[in-house]
Amino acid sequence: MTKISDITIIDDDPIVVFGLRKLITSTIKCNSIESYGNGLLAYDAIMKKLDDKQPIPKVIFLDINMPIMDGWEFLEAFLKLPITDKIKINIITSSIDSFDKKQWESYKNKSHHVITFNQKPINKIKIEEITQVA
Amino acid sequence: MIKVPQTSSTSYLIRQLPTPTAFIDTNYNIVHTSEKWMNIFNNNESYNTASLFTAFPNLSSKWKKELENCFKGNPQPMGIHQAKDIDDQDVWFEWSNAPWYDTNENIIGAIIQLNNITDSVNNELELNKKNLLLKQQAEITKIGQWEYDILDNQLTWCTTTKAIHEVPPHFTPNIENAIHYFKEGHSRNAISMAVFEAQNKGKAYSNLKLQIITATGNEKWVMAGGKPIYHKGELIGLIGTIQDIHDQVEADIKTLDNEKLLRTLIDNLPVNVYIKDTESRKILVNKAECEFLGVKNPEDLLGKSDFELYPSESAARSREEDLLVMNTLKPIIGKETLNIKLDGKETSFLSSKIPLLNNKGLAYGIVGISLDITKLKEKESELRNIINIASIQNKKLLNFAHIVSHNLRSHSANFSMLLDFLKTEKDEDEKNRIIEMLTNASNNLLETLDSLNDVITINTNTNIDKKNINLHNKVITINQHLTGYLLNNRAEIKNTIPEDFKIKSVPTYLDGILTNFITNAVKFKHPDRNSKITLSAIKKNNYSILTIADNGLGIDLEKYGKKLFGMYKTFHDHKDARGIGLYITKNQIDAMNGKIEVSSEIGMGTEFKIFFNDKN
Repeated sequence: MTKISDITIIDDDPIVVFGLRKLITSTIKCNSIESYGNGLLAYDAIMKKLDDKQPIPKVIFLDINMPIMDGWEFLEAFLKLPITDKIKINIITSSIDSFDKKQWESYKNKSHHVITFNQKPINKIKIEEITQVA
Repeated sequence: MIKVPQTSSTSYLIRQLPTPTAFIDTNYNIVHTSEKWMNIFNNNESYNTASLFTAFPNLSSKWKKELENCFKGNPQPMGIHQAKDIDDQDVWFEWSNAPWYDTNENIIGAIIQLNNITDSVNNELELNKKNLLLKQQAEITKIGQWEYDILDNQLTWCTTTKAIHEVPPHFTPNIENAIHYFKEGHSRNAISMAVFEAQNKGKAYSNLKLQIITATGNEKWVMAGGKPIYHKGELIGLIGTIQDIHDQVEADIKTLDNEKLLRTLIDNLPVNVYIKDTESRKILVNKAECEFLGVKNPEDLLGKSDFELYPSESAARSREEDLLVMNTLKPIIGKETLNIKLDGKETSFLSSKIPLLNNKGLAYGIVGISLDITKLKEKESELRNIINIASIQNKKLLNFAHIVSHNLRSHSANFSMLLDFLKTEKDEDEKNRIIEMLTNASNNLLETLDSLNDVITINTNTNIDKKNINLHNKVITINQHLTGYLLNNRAEIKNTIPEDFKIKSVPTYLDGILTNFITNAVKFKHPDRNSKITLSAIKKNNYSILTIADNGLGIDLEKYGKKLFGMYKTFHDHKDARGIGLYITKNQIDAMNGKIEVSSEIGMGTEFKIFFNDKN
């Protein structure tokens, strides 16, 4: 079982958070899994970690449609942070809007982080595939 | 002994003879000549002794025989011959001779006398020439002549007249069959009458344009003329002409037909047609143009310029255009113009102006063709409107489809994930937890479907039944319905809407709109103060504007302005925020042709302005 130090889930749907946690823990070993109900909460937490010189999560599961700060807004803000490590950001969405896919492509090409676009539902095989440190 | 004429005594007499005369001896030597002869041929005395043959080398050899006969006392005419006089002019003479007797009745020579007939020869030649000319003229102009001798009842046709009637050259006409060649009806009646009047009343006729049927059966237009002739005051006959004018008449008829065709065409075209002269005065207008300008007769428009028919500004513009076309000779084709008449009525035209050129290539006017496209333009604008609506609807539909698919997909994804877990889960507690989550997911799905159903109902209800509603009273009613909710949240509503303020709205939509905005304001109240909601209303530009202002959290419009009325967008971290209320409200207001404006200050409050359309 691969070992990943820290994983963060950003999604406002508790069922999705529950499911992802369950899938991740049954697939890989990791120190901690944190989850946040919207982009802003997650962003604030990461900022705090940076300030405290704590390790930041290596893998992020990101929902798009969220209140307060949605997935794109989070991504926009996150990519501006001074993080030199390659972070793996897995976008998880049920959207089939072509706009979202285009957004992903533009972010993917302008960042040194690895960003993937995944449509729900997510199963064990998919989790194994995308939960790799970048 | 050779008989020698006695010359000395007689020569003086001979000289004085009144006609040109020469006496020759039997050796053909000219012995005496009259003064006249001398004047014509030679005034040299020595000429007298010359031989006749030397004097007239071209002619005299012919006469040798005649003169020999003459010497035998048997003179014969010598005919008409041409000779040259001393001025080298051609002169015609009729030559005659007679034996010259001496006193003893012996023939001693011949007397030759000349009769100058140059004038009559010339006259004859002239006559021949004239006749020839006449004949040619007749052939070219196709004018034939005829002559009718009343006494002999004899009619003569010249060859051209015969040719016109297409009869053979040997044809003998008479007055009856001549008249019979004229076409039965008007032509025959007219010629009969004319000939009758000429014969009986001495009345001439001319320029009668009539039709004949020729001997070979062709119909022909002719111009007939006739004139009585008198001899010593008595009518003796008629002379006249007949001219073949068939080609001209046919051409004239064709021209007339063409003109008529053109006129019929331009009068019945469903476009306005006019011709203007260089001063932009109308010189031709068709029916459509008359109708457009409200006159019955084209005469009411002819000679008038645009300045008399249209307001000066548009007349000046049109005049400028006319001048441009006439100066550059470049036509204006299919230009869209707006025409304003004196009564202010506007018409959209597709108009063309084409220069009319004379044979020097200069413009002498323009021909204008204008197609009324007012109805077309109206239809076009209607169509554009429909396309606009369709495209907005399409956008909405696509947006809605995305929303629906997204929401339904997220639920179904949850179902499938949870069911996957359930399949493999051994732990009973965990199983129960998953089942509980499935129940939640199912409830969420139902709620989502309910909301979507609301949206569909609004957007598919094409029959919007708006009623006049007193807004003040309505707010009071809603306030009463929400009393419990408002009391629990310590919210206060201030109704400053005028008591008689009425708006047009679908009653249920208005209930929803008011309830939604009021509960929203309460939901997103500022944690440090009680919620206070103020409702006011004014009328402006066909809209009744309801303003709902609160003292709540406020919305960051810069961030969320565009998404504010989107579906499932919430901007507050609030447990009651479902993100559907404003979306439905917006749909309801749109459906009633209204609009929403919003202004907000974070931490201070939000103000919504709802525009109810008073018209439709």
